[in-house]
Amino acid sequence: MDTKNVILIMKKEAGESLKNRWFILYTLCFSALALLVLLFSTMGGDIAGFSGFGRTAASIINLVLLFVPLIAIITGGVSISQERENGTLPYLLSHPINKNEIFVGKFLGILIAIWSSILLGFGLAGLGVALRGGQGEITGYLLTVLLSALLAACFLSIGFLVSVYSGKASKAIGISVFLWLLFIILGDLGIMGTTVAMDLGIKQVFVLALLNPAEVFKIASVLVLSPRFEILGPVGVYAVRTFGQQGVFYLLFSIMLLWVLVPFGYAYFVFTRFKKEEK
Amino acid sequence: MIKVDDVTKKFGNVIAVNSATLNIQQGESVALLGANGAGKSTLIKCILGLLEYKGIIEIQNRDIKENLKLSKSLIGYVPQEPLFYDMKVLNILDFFASIRGVDKNRVNILLELVGLEDHKSKLASELSGGMRQRLSFAIGLLSDPPVLILDEPTSNLDANARGDFLNLVKAHKDQGKTVLFSSHRLDEVNHIADRVVFMKSGKVIIDEKPENLATSLGIKVKINLRIPQVHISDAVSILKKEGFETVSRNGSGIYVEVDEGQRAIPLEKLIQGQIPIEDFTLEESSMETVINHIEANGY
Repeated sequence: MDTKNVILIMKKEAGESLKNRWFILYTLCFSALALLVLLFSTMGGDIAGFSGFGRTAASIINLVLLFVPLIAIITGGVSISQERENGTLPYLLSHPINKNEIFVGKFLGILIAIWSSILLGFGLAGLGVALRGGQGEITGYLLTVLLSALLAACFLSIGFLVSVYSGKASKAIGISVFLWLLFIILGDLGIMGTTVAMDLGIKQVFVLALLNPAEVFKIASVLVLSPRFEILGPVGVYAVRTFGQQGVFYLLFSIMLLWVLVPFGYAYFVFTRFKKEEK
Repeated sequence: MIKVDDVTKKFGNVIAVNSATLNIQQGESVALLGANGAGKSTLIKCILGLLEYKGIIEIQNRDIKENLKLSKSLIGYVPQEPLFYDMKVLNILDFFASIRGVDKNRVNILLELVGLEDHKSKLASELSGGMRQRLSFAIGLLSDPPVLILDEPTSNLDANARGDFLNLVKAHKDQGKTVLFSSHRLDEVNHIADRVVFMKSGKVIIDEKPENLATSLGIKVKINLRIPQVHISDAVSILKKEGFETVSRNGSGIYVEVDEGQRAIPLEKLIQGQIPIEDFTLEESSMETVINHIEANGY
């Protein structure tokens, strides 16, 4: 793999994403809502163990859960399918560049663009907290930023997997939105429904939650922001008692990493080795 | 320079290229002709390494399957419909120059060569069809590759743009580049090609010099001669006596069919027979005529 080509594609993708009007709209909405969250979260005192940076981060988590997976999975979904559909991919491949360089370059470029918007949102909110003399654990806030970045990478990987299998951008967007609904909106309902219907124990519910990267992000974020893990409910208590607070965090972090690496690796394999032809 | 040996490409059960064999020497210009679906574009995409295939394709004696990146660096490709990222012309050239490891000075030289220096700040989407094709040609020339492959490069151009583009290609052919191009137009073939390869149903069925193509196929050139009414009967008699089988009267003169390369003979015979010729027009064989002839009569 030629690093020069990877960097070239990465720069192009990052530049194009940052200039994309939907992406700009998303970044503006996310940043504006983060500031709004800051405004409300800094009113009042300590609530459920959160204050200052902690409470702002806890509020932004819900924003992250809605916005970041959606933009990541859709941008990933159209990344290759759109180039395949409009014919720029075969033209690019007629030059001395390999599919693996294109794949890695595109992934990194889009990831950098998404991370930039996450940093902007968290950065503005963090700056607001600091200017208002906010208190609290800044490490937890920074870890939440890190987890949000990882969540973006998870859904971008899933988006890329959708993209390599899609010949058309519209199909990729449809599948991506369906998966977003499944993971984000129906995720909680699914766990609750399955738990009631199958009369699952705490251990099984915990395992079920680990299957959804959004749930993993949610648990990990609350864990790094609050020393009172009881707010996670019986499943959280079970997890912390079984693995220890640090152990649970490492477990959740590893699972999120797997959610990045497995779809990415599989999509990479399909795109580069399986020889899907670019007519 | 380019060796295509027994190459077969299937899409499911459809055979797009069927045991095609083709050798193109360095500096040679070869036209790929054939009806839509004959397999021209598919063969070109195989040579570019975009499609999997059975058989052997070599560029400069190297199998492209084993040397894909190197092979692609030896080829400048101009597609039928150039599709670019919606960037400025200069940025597009810079982007592909970086992929090909070419100095940025080369970009300015090529912008001037293809006449796009005044449009370098325009977005690709703002360019006309002819300009896009010239941009595509400039990209193809970035690394000064020894091989140019053009897939129906003029099919979307008007007459003026087509003429300009063909002159550009011809100039590079004359500089010694190996050129493989697919086309639907016989005039392009006559302008650029040293050899004509005709494909039908994925097979190479003709490999000829362009001047021999019509003769090989037995395709006639039609000549309309305007002759004063009083001389028409004599003119018909003279031409029939000279062995021209298809001679007939039309409104203001006569109509005669001759073999390729014999356009002047009926005129010469009529002048020798003291028949005044007021005017004449030629009906050249079109690509459609050639395709229809091959479809109807085979080869």
